[in-house]
Amino acid sequence: MEERLKLLSRGMQAAMVGVAVAGIVTHNLTWVPAALFSLFVSVIPGLVRRDLGIVLPIELNFWIVLALFLHVVGGFSGFYDHVPGWDHVTHLISASLIGALGFVAVVTLDKYVDSISLPRPFLAFFIVMFSMAFGVLWEFMEFANDQLAGTHLQYNLDDTMIDLMFDGFGGFFVASLGAYYLIHTPHEHFVRALNVDEAKERITEGIAKRKKAS
Amino acid sequence: MSKGRPKGARALLKSQTREQILEAEVSWISSLLLFFCTVYSLLRMDVLWVFFGITALSLYVLPIVTMRNPFKALPWEMAILLSAPLILHLAARSHALNEHLHWWDDFTSVAFAFSLATIGFLLTVELQMYTQVKMNRAFAVFFVIMFTLAIAGFWQIGEFVGDKVYGTNIQGDNTAVMTTLVWNLIGGIIMGIVYDLYLRAMSERRRTALGFKYLHEVPRWKNG
Repeated sequence: MEERLKLLSRGMQAAMVGVAVAGIVTHNLTWVPAALFSLFVSVIPGLVRRDLGIVLPIELNFWIVLALFLHVVGGFSGFYDHVPGWDHVTHLISASLIGALGFVAVVTLDKYVDSISLPRPFLAFFIVMFSMAFGVLWEFMEFANDQLAGTHLQYNLDDTMIDLMFDGFGGFFVASLGAYYLIHTPHEHFVRALNVDEAKERITEGIAKRKKAS
Repeated sequence: MSKGRPKGARALLKSQTREQILEAEVSWISSLLLFFCTVYSLLRMDVLWVFFGITALSLYVLPIVTMRNPFKALPWEMAILLSAPLILHLAARSHALNEHLHWWDDFTSVAFAFSLATIGFLLTVELQMYTQVKMNRAFAVFFVIMFTLAIAGFWQIGEFVGDKVYGTNIQGDNTAVMTTLVWNLIGGIIMGIVYDLYLRAMSERRRTALGFKYLHEVPRWKNG
């Protein structure tokens, strides 16, 4: 299972490279920056793992690459315009991704910061709010892009609102999944799997080294 | 009940300073305004705003009821912030204001964000008073801003659905909605900063009276 997910992730990354190359070759440059940027984002978990030792769950890693892949390939091939509902599916996937990343961050905060304690029902509530807030921020980005660069990312009000609804669905989905997951796995276990302890040591070491050097 | 609390209404009144009584009065008057505006919205079947009013009122009443002490009312400035948007919303229907003040609509959006942020803030405070939730100040401020933006988003979905169901057009076009949301975000950020300063500057008496004490702890990441 793990190997297969890894292979799929690599395949999707290759497709993003393909989009960048094809864009440059055919002088169709609109999606080249997005492809390169997404490629960069998709290797961040690997970099974090190498430098800090934080290990994200493999499923989450896969989800990150999948969201970026659907966005880039869909944009380049014009699926956003021609495939009905493509926009909403990518919204659902990216909103659930943001929710999942928020979940990881908040569970870690809960464990590592003394003055923060967040029981499970609150975590679920927080994740729904988090996904929705980021959904609105995403719409701001599209809106600003339309206003400044004259693109046409937001078709009309109905479209924007349905995007937001799907962001909400994504949030609810991750919230229920996360709550269910935490019933079966205690917080400590989940956080230990992330390997934050080692990362903390490395960060403190790094800061100490830098202080010595200066 | 706690030992030191004086018995009887008169004794309770005597135990307060004039300043405290005045503060509680202003707070209660704002909440009454909020209450009557909620009733008015209910009569007009303005579902979203009724929902808003009920949420705000229950957060207002909760500490008073659980501690059985009318002087545990919210600080008056927060009570005013809570009730202002509902009054402004009723005023926003006024054509005279809308026609003569072109910024009126944006102004009500900001006021709405202020009250959403106040609700978010009250939520952080009361969650700490009544549940296991613990937050420090930085997290609380982040939560307030995020909460404002998210509820504003859900609110727009609610208006959208309402427009579709009743065949009205309250929302306007895409640009109008995005402008409203941007003003909501700006209002949320302003309130986040204001609450941070507010918590730092709050007097010891109020802080202990309202259970704000947890929000004052400094996060110690290294020692955690």
